[in-house]
Amino acid sequence: MPIGPILRAMNHNRTRFALIILEIAITLAIVTNAVNMILAERREMQRQSGFVDDNLVSINAQPFAPEFSEQSFVENVVANDLRALHALPGVKAAAATRIVPWQGGGSSGVWKTAGYPEKVQAQIYATTPRLFDVLGAPVAQGRGFNESDTPTDPNTPTQVTVISRALARKFWGDANPIGKVITDGAGETPRTVIGVIDRFYNPYAWNIGEFVLFTPGRAYGPGGMRYLIRVEDGAMKSVAAQLEPRLLQVNPGRVFRTRTIAEVKDGFFSGRRLIVTSMTAVIVVLVFVTALGILGITSLAVSERTKQIGTRRALGATKGDILKHFLAENWIVTTIGLILGIIATYALNFALVSNLTDVKMPWYLVGVGMVILWINGLVATIPPALRAARVAPAIATRSV
Amino acid sequence: MLLYNIKIAIKSLRRNPILTLLLIGAIALGICVSTTFIALRHIFEKDPLPGKSASMHYVRLDNWDPTRAYVAEDPTSIPSQITYRDARALLKSDIPTRQTPMYKTTAFIFPDAKVGRPFAQDIRITFNDFFDMFDVPFQHGGPWTDAADAKPEQVVVIDQAINEKLFGGGNSVGKTVRIDERNYKVVGVLAPWRPATKFYDLTQSATNPLEGMFMPFNFTEVLEIVTSGNTDGWKSPDGDGVQAFLNSETVWLQFWVELPTPEKQAAYREWVNNYVRDQKKLGRFPRPLYTKVTSMPELMREFQVVPAAVKSMSIVSVLFLVVCSLNLVGLLLGKFLARIPEVSVRRALGASRLQVFWQHVVECELVGIAGGAIGLALSLAVLKMIGKFVPGGHEVIRLDGEMVLVSIFLSLVAGLMAGLYPSWRVCSVAPAMQLKVQ
Repeated sequence: MPIGPILRAMNHNRTRFALIILEIAITLAIVTNAVNMILAERREMQRQSGFVDDNLVSINAQPFAPEFSEQSFVENVVANDLRALHALPGVKAAAATRIVPWQGGGSSGVWKTAGYPEKVQAQIYATTPRLFDVLGAPVAQGRGFNESDTPTDPNTPTQVTVISRALARKFWGDANPIGKVITDGAGETPRTVIGVIDRFYNPYAWNIGEFVLFTPGRAYGPGGMRYLIRVEDGAMKSVAAQLEPRLLQVNPGRVFRTRTIAEVKDGFFSGRRLIVTSMTAVIVVLVFVTALGILGITSLAVSERTKQIGTRRALGATKGDILKHFLAENWIVTTIGLILGIIATYALNFALVSNLTDVKMPWYLVGVGMVILWINGLVATIPPALRAARVAPAIATRSV
Repeated sequence: MLLYNIKIAIKSLRRNPILTLLLIGAIALGICVSTTFIALRHIFEKDPLPGKSASMHYVRLDNWDPTRAYVAEDPTSIPSQITYRDARALLKSDIPTRQTPMYKTTAFIFPDAKVGRPFAQDIRITFNDFFDMFDVPFQHGGPWTDAADAKPEQVVVIDQAINEKLFGGGNSVGKTVRIDERNYKVVGVLAPWRPATKFYDLTQSATNPLEGMFMPFNFTEVLEIVTSGNTDGWKSPDGDGVQAFLNSETVWLQFWVELPTPEKQAAYREWVNNYVRDQKKLGRFPRPLYTKVTSMPELMREFQVVPAAVKSMSIVSVLFLVVCSLNLVGLLLGKFLARIPEVSVRRALGASRLQVFWQHVVECELVGIAGGAIGLALSLAVLKMIGKFVPGGHEVIRLDGEMVLVSIFLSLVAGLMAGLYPSWRVCSVAPAMQLKVQ
């Protein structure tokens, strides 16, 4: 197909094509950057807590009755609570806990070990023996806690710990962590590693989401108690509704808050979900608007050139030739727009990356974006191009 | 003349209703998206204390581990709060016109048995300067007195929601509330107060709910109140118990000072540095001397009150509006050029280029205004939806007057950007040429 006439025809309508080129360039920049942001958010949202989050519910009890200042009274209430919870129909297991999956933040400290040069910040949570079962986090190596691991005196530091695989790797690489000793930053309160859980993730202000030490302990005190409850499939609604009334019966001197882990996770990710939804909407609308723009401008070009098209048809050009002319025209414009768009994409990415820290633009995303906009441009050109192809040769002979 | 132009423009827009709808729709979409995201950003970025925020300063001292910065990877990091003993010492400075340490705690409120069961309530523990410093509005009563701070007296300030919950609203000044084991006298009830961000405490999420109650700071030691905010430490306290905690190197207090002039700011910085130098002699502050007295706008930037994603989305949304405008240029160009014969008649009958140009610009601006109005209404709806999506958002996420103005301005600019080139093209037509062909 001769390219010369196409280019000459385009030169006649420079402004119009410049508009399409600009539009396509900016569209590519927005679409690729928006998709990139969506992917970054989704990566975060798809992280695993390391626990089985489904069918898990927590209830937090905050005591106000003065008797709770006695540790023995608290012990007694907790024992009765757990007994009551286990007796509820639909409950598989329950345990007192300091940590709720996806709570975000929590407690942390600085730890070190002989032979590793740095101190490492990691989360730490007191844990009752049954908690790992309730969480659905099997101890992959070594053993979990048993009743004798918990010191009888609440003020005595614990001797053993179960840690996350990530922390074990950080301290000892691939060596067997069982039997190794971790101390606090000052070199005190040594704890021997007796077990490792494979996965743990609780987002934290510092970049320590995967580092954790679990220590055997009461996980409750005069300040309050929180239980995690694993329920049977489909029993969540009825169990969640019964928790507060049941624990009120055990001791009414407390206020309660029940939340399923699904709700906690939802709340934690609400901001990210908002970004994903609004970015998706922007992309869809933008691609549609750009297609409409191309369609509008090409339609205009067709109706303005009706006479010329008629003349070409009268001189022997086939319908296919006319169709090809417009498609080729669009293809050239789209391609120029996309090439400019690559520059625009990286420029915008640069502007956005100075805000966000780790959202670099992967090249394949630009490729995918280009292919989509190529197809988008083609599809938008087809209706007016078909209309052009239908112009009768006789038009050429009519005046005006 | 303007009225006449508007009349012609409306006539021309009516002639091709589908095209007109398309034009208005494109602007409406662009305005809706850009207004929504600019408004979201504005909510976070807005100066919470106009005219005053630059004199509010937040004090931080680096009392951290000699071998390790507060954030290990970042040597310029500094603890985001201060210790109790440092807060007590800083209070001795007479340079700030107002100052207060503060923190959040949770306590139990025991309402009248007829009203309901006890409930846990977030309370801000602070000095009475808090209310003046942060322009907190009162419905009834006011802040507690200096004498109440000094003693401390059992007084509280409550917000509207708590007033509603405990007393069913109304002027509750003088009534008593039982908090934990004691009764407190209500001295003030706040007027509705919902700043967009919790600007006075950025150590947790800036979108956290505000506390509904306020109590004098000097109860901290008397009642052994425990913070429910962040506590960070690098060294265990010397012993158990509250007194050891208060004497420890653990940081858990926010400290604000009001320093209205640069001279005061410089003097205060020097005063704080001297305090740390003195403490170093006593063996505290093992790291190199490092203190920060940061103004509120700066602090909001440092704590990244505007989420990065919201910033990015506002940039993207403006580009979106640009794409919509580009579309309009194409459509308007076609529309106006098709009208050349008509225009050349007008030109031949004596209309100047400028008149023709204005007539077309007015037409574009009409489209801009109509599209802008629809876009603004859409964006109100979208913001309302987003408000439901984000916890606590429905109170905060809305369009203020400033944003409505920005939106109107954007629609005018979009109409102008889209219309300038087509209008110029159509007005540069020579009158005779077209008449000849006809």
